[in-house]
Amino acid sequence: MLRMTLAVLRKDMTLTLLRSSGLAQALLLGLLLVFVFSLSQGAGESLSARNAAAVFWLSSAFCQVLIFNQLYALEETNDSRLGLILCPAPIQAVWLGKAIAGVALLLLAQCVFLPATVVFLGQDLAGPLRPALAILFLTDTGMCALGSLLGALAQGQTTRESLLGVVLFPLLTPLLLAGTGIGAQAFGDADPDGPGAWLGLAAAFDAIFLAAGLLLFAFLYGGEE
Amino acid sequence: MLELERVAHVYGHTPVFRDISCRAAGGSITLLLGGNGAGKSTLLRIMAGLTRPSSGAVRFSGTSGKIGHLGHSTFVYPALTALENLTFWRDAHGLAETGDGMLKILDRVGLAARAHDRAGTFSRGMAQRLSLARVLLLEPDVLLLDEPDTGLDAASRALLRKELLEARGRGACVVLAGHGVARDAPPADRILLLERGGLAYDGPASSFFSPPAERACCA
Amino acid sequence: MPGRFLPPLILLLAGSLSLACCQYLIYFYAPAEATMGLVQKIFYIHLPLAWWSLFSFFLVFLGSVAYLLKRAPGADRLCAAAAEAGVLLSGLALLTGMLWARKSWGVWWTWDPRLTATLVMWFIYAGYLLLRGLGLPPRRKRLVCAVAGVVAFLDVPLVFVSARIWRSIHPSVLGAQGGGLEPEMKVTVSACVVAFGLFWAGLVWLRKCQLDLRARMRGSVD
Repeated sequence: MLRMTLAVLRKDMTLTLLRSSGLAQALLLGLLLVFVFSLSQGAGESLSARNAAAVFWLSSAFCQVLIFNQLYALEETNDSRLGLILCPAPIQAVWLGKAIAGVALLLLAQCVFLPATVVFLGQDLAGPLRPALAILFLTDTGMCALGSLLGALAQGQTTRESLLGVVLFPLLTPLLLAGTGIGAQAFGDADPDGPGAWLGLAAAFDAIFLAAGLLLFAFLYGGEE
Repeated sequence: MLELERVAHVYGHTPVFRDISCRAAGGSITLLLGGNGAGKSTLLRIMAGLTRPSSGAVRFSGTSGKIGHLGHSTFVYPALTALENLTFWRDAHGLAETGDGMLKILDRVGLAARAHDRAGTFSRGMAQRLSLARVLLLEPDVLLLDEPDTGLDAASRALLRKELLEARGRGACVVLAGHGVARDAPPADRILLLERGGLAYDGPASSFFSPPAERACCA
Repeated sequence: MPGRFLPPLILLLAGSLSLACCQYLIYFYAPAEATMGLVQKIFYIHLPLAWWSLFSFFLVFLGSVAYLLKRAPGADRLCAAAAEAGVLLSGLALLTGMLWARKSWGVWWTWDPRLTATLVMWFIYAGYLLLRGLGLPPRRKRLVCAVAGVVAFLDVPLVFVSARIWRSIHPSVLGAQGGGLEPEMKVTVSACVVAFGLFWAGLVWLRKCQLDLRARMRGSVD
């Protein structure tokens, strides 16, 4: 299973980063969001830390939907999906490989969104960084575990891609709240309760949806049209 | 050996076929005949385990169940080179073939010179050959081919014939779907004729072609 | 076939009648609340709506699991019926909640954790219904919806917890409420929940029968 996971990961990264327009669309959309929100600031003002963190996670969420649409579309060109199903390794390897690829791509995109948020929305990283990094990884993991599971929804239905967002966004609410809560602290919002509760929530989310992905993916990713 | 037991399939609300029971032995080539829409591709997909039959069962015995499927879809990633495509399928199947070995397989299907070109630049026939290379790489015990000669020229068909004979030689169970029997098609040992939702003929190829000749209705 | 519709219709009727009786309890038996007065009566409708919508979603979850294990199309139709009822009831719960909030706190919407969580849940299951409405091939649709039904319900507790943590940072307009109910109020609200449960069960059952009938008419065998 591990070998197939790595094979899928390597292939997806090669195809996305080296052989296509790659992250361009996802990056542009996210950057546009940050920019549009920057217009809501009056001269000399800057968005509150909480707002800025929310915008950052909103960009990430949109970006993630595009990433998973793209990753699962790779298998649609010549029905390679069927080839993957015929492989002897458990099909969950595809879910895991694409989830890891998703985390890597999302982190790359966030390397752009974070400076953009700081610059356009007038923030600085004044708060504690360690919980912020932790929540970044926890949230990305949860988003990608769920994104990789639901990305398979669009299988064989390339025209229905917009659907993924409608189904995925409300499900991600707890994670996005956690990300925003700690993100606001990282941008200097004081909070007496500290990051503990949010970190716990994000970790619980990750555990539940990693397990759900492992259990449910095989149902979704099948040969049926 | 591959064995089907009372397999039936319903697509939407229309029954495609029902009560199909047959077996295909190792070291033999079975030709699955039938007109358009008779359900040949569906039956092959059921054999491969890609489609759940509405009822009935598919069984493998005496094989590791390693299945090679060569159908209308080539499973080729256009943005990867021919060699990268093979490397990916090698890793996905957990095989130990070396880079040189894969180049040799590409050479067998006549793609050695294009090994480092992207598969997207290939013609339909070349993509089909690359797909054949993928199947050869697997060395499957059960080889399911759905009209594999679509888009192939005479030389490629000869190549396919040679490779299928070789697969039969090493004991693989080969099932081949087609509309009819072309002159240069691989020699079948057994024929299955899928007609009007059932098996109209299931027997050795020799008696299928001997009179009464009217049987070859869909040639 | 018409005989099949009888039990759910009886349930619906029983539910309607007992809801009518509950009106007596609400307006004459239960005392008026000291600070909120008459407006508080909406609580007796609001609470059953919220509870039974949550239960509908639980039923979607059970039906989805059953479908994944048994592949019985009937389980999928149960999910469809329950999800529709759930979205309807949680929508109404949101509306009644808003009316109540408007009258008692002067705002249409407060980020009360329960209200917020209900809204998010409403979004989740509205998306689920959209998924059902897509023209996917029947077998694929049932499978996709079953997976979505399980995932959606797994999310519900997380939504509630996150809304709660969110509020503790963001003090909401109201303090803790609903703790000190008078005994008569408790009796009334329990009666309302039971009556509404009958009505709800009849509704879901009836819808399930309708969907069964439709599937039969279309001759769906797969």
